[in-house]
Amino acid sequence: MTRALTHAMIAFAATLRRVGLTVTTESVGQALRALDLIDLMDRDGVYLALRMILTSRMEEQTVFERCFDEFWQLYTQWSFQPEQPSTAAAQEANDLETSEIDPATQSDALVQSIDDVEIDPTERLDLPGQSDIDVLSAQDFSTFTSDQLQEVARLTTEIAKRLARRVSRRRKPSRRRGTLDLRGTMRANIMRDELIDLRRHARRRRRVKLVLLCDVSGSMTLYSRFLLQFLYALQNTFGRVETFAFATRLTRISDLLRGSSSYQLALASLSGVRDWSGGTRVGESLRQFNERWGRLLDPRTIVVLLSDGWDAGNPDLLAQEMLNLKRRAGKLIWLNPLLGDPTYEPLTRGMAVALPFVHTFAPAHNIDSLRMLARHLTVR
Amino acid sequence: MQIKQLEDSMEQAGYVTDPAIGMAVHLAMTLKKPLLVEGHAGVGKTEIAKVMADMLHANLIRLQCYEGLDSSQTLYEWNYPKQLLHIKLEEGGPHSLSEREAAIFSAPFLIRRPLLQAITATDAPPVLLIDEIDRADEEFEAFLLEVLSEYQVTIPEIGSIKAVHPPYVVLTSNRVRELSDALRRRCLYLWIDFPGFEKELRIITRKVPEIDERLARQISQFMETARTLRLAKLPGVAESLDWAHALCSLHADHLDENLIHETLPCIVKDADDVKRLKRELAGKGIERFVSAGSLSTAQ
Repeated sequence: MTRALTHAMIAFAATLRRVGLTVTTESVGQALRALDLIDLMDRDGVYLALRMILTSRMEEQTVFERCFDEFWQLYTQWSFQPEQPSTAAAQEANDLETSEIDPATQSDALVQSIDDVEIDPTERLDLPGQSDIDVLSAQDFSTFTSDQLQEVARLTTEIAKRLARRVSRRRKPSRRRGTLDLRGTMRANIMRDELIDLRRHARRRRRVKLVLLCDVSGSMTLYSRFLLQFLYALQNTFGRVETFAFATRLTRISDLLRGSSSYQLALASLSGVRDWSGGTRVGESLRQFNERWGRLLDPRTIVVLLSDGWDAGNPDLLAQEMLNLKRRAGKLIWLNPLLGDPTYEPLTRGMAVALPFVHTFAPAHNIDSLRMLARHLTVR
Repeated sequence: MQIKQLEDSMEQAGYVTDPAIGMAVHLAMTLKKPLLVEGHAGVGKTEIAKVMADMLHANLIRLQCYEGLDSSQTLYEWNYPKQLLHIKLEEGGPHSLSEREAAIFSAPFLIRRPLLQAITATDAPPVLLIDEIDRADEEFEAFLLEVLSEYQVTIPEIGSIKAVHPPYVVLTSNRVRELSDALRRRCLYLWIDFPGFEKELRIITRKVPEIDERLARQISQFMETARTLRLAKLPGVAESLDWAHALCSLHADHLDENLIHETLPCIVKDADDVKRLKRELAGKGIERFVSAGSLSTAQ
C-alpha cells in the first residue's frame, strides 16, 4: 500500500463526508483492504470496489461518481510526485472540491431567514398569558410571539411523544384468547405429566408507519415553523416516520430531522427546502412523491398532509395523484391550519379537488388540534 | 487477472455478469462481508447467491423474508410434537426429571431453521441467501444484524453456538421499505440496474438459445425503450425472457405490431400500463421502440 494511496483515500473519505455520505473509519480501512486485492491501475475496478464499500444506497452513487474523479486525480498525481503531499495541500484540495456544496454556508442562510421571521414587524405582540398552557393550547399558531416559542416547542414534543406511545402500543400476551403457544406451554408444564397450564399468545397489534408531507410554501409560513417543530418531534420519537417538505418541489427531510441534535440545527439544515418565493404545487409535489417514494406506502402507512390547500398547480394532476396516494396508503389525513377558523370553508380549488380522496380532514392550527390528531393515527 | 477469471466462471455457471457484479462477488468472497443487493424486481439479484454457491460448490441456504418473520422461523424451534411423544414414552421410565429434561432439550429435538443451519455448517462455509429482507419487520432486521456481526447464536437450553465456517451472506432488497443504516453499513452494497442493450441481448441469447438473433435484438431494444416510459411496474429481465420464450413458441423471427399486441401480457402486468403502452404504440408506431435499422437488417 503506497502512502499516496492512503493519503488520497483519507482525503476522499473527507470529501464524501462533506457531501453527506456516512463514511466510517472502519469502512475506510475496509476500502484500503479491498484495494489490496485489486489492480490499482484499473480505474474502473478501483471505482467499482470503492463504490461498493463507501456507498450504501443507490441514490448516493451519482455524488460518489462526481467525487471519485477528484480522488483518482489526486491519487495518480500524488503517486508520481517524488515528495509526499502535505496535509495542508490535501486540505486545500478538499476545500476546492467542496466549495460548491458547503453545508455551512447554506445553514447560515437559513438561520438568517429564521431570524428574519422572528423580528417580523407584523407579528402580533398584544397577547395574553405568556406560559398559561390552556391559553397556549387554543391559540392559533400564526399569532404566537417568539417568547412563547419555547413553551410551544415543549408542548408539541410532549404531544408527539404521547402519539408515538399510543400508536406503537401492542397487545399483551393473553391466557385466554389467541393461538396456543406451544413453546410457552411446554415450558410451563415441564414439571408435570400432563399439559394442564395452556399458554396462548395473541397477535401483536400491527404498528403503523407515518409519512408526513408538509407544505412549506409562503402561505404556510406562519404555521410551518410550528408544524416543522411538530414533525421534528415526531420524527425523533417515532421509529417509522418519513418526512417530506414541499412547496413547488418535494424534498425528503427525514434524515435532516433525525440526524440533528436539536430542532434549531434541524431547521438550519433545511435551508435548501424552503421555497419562500414560489407558490404551491401540491399536485406536482405529490407526483414526485408517488414516483420516487411510492414504495414507502403500504396498507399500514398513514399519510399526513399538512397544507392549507392553496394550490397553483394543475387540479387534474392533483386529483390523479391524490387518488394514487389513497390507493396505496392505509389512510390519508389532511391537516389544514385554516380549518381552525369557524368561518372557513374548503373552497380553494385545490382543497375542493383533494377533499373527496381524504379520509380525515382536520385542523392543525393550535396545540389542541395536534392533540386531537391521536384519534386519527390508527389504521382500521 | 482474478476478477476476469471470476467473471468467466460466473458466465460458465450460466449467469450473465458485468464488471460491477463481478467486483461485488469478488469482494464479498475475499473480504467475507455480507453483500446487500438492491435493484428492481427481476434483474437477477437472487441469482447472484445461487451462482456463488455454484462456483464455490457450497450449500445454498435460503431464507425468504416476509412480514411477521421471527426467530422461531429463522433460527430454531424445538420440535414440540417429538418432545411430547418422548415425554409420554418415558413415563414411568427410570430416568430422573433432570435427565428427561436434558434429553428433550438436546440437538435431536432441535429444528434448525436457515440461520442456524448456516451457522452450524460443519464442512465448508455455505452461502446464505436472505431474500427480500425489506419485507421483514425492523425488529427482524435488528436481530439479523446481531447474528451477522458475530455469527454466533445462543440457545438457552444448549448454550452458545459459534460458526466454525461463517457463511457467505447475500441479502436482497426490492426497496419496499428503507433498510436501516446500521445494516447497510455492515454490508457491501451493490445496486443492479436494468441491463443495457448489450447485456440484455446476451442474457436473452444465453437463456433462450433457440431464439432468432434479430428477434433477440428487437426485444432488447423494445425493453430498453419501454423502461423509459412512466409505467407503474417496469418490466424486468424476467419479463424479457418470458416474452422471448413466448415469441419463440409462436415461431416468430421478428417483432411486428400485431405480435406485440398479442403478447403484451408477457411484459406488462398492470391494466394502466397496458393501456399506456398500447397508446404509445398506436401513436408513434413500432419505430418508437425498435430502430428501423434492426427491422430490415438481420444480424
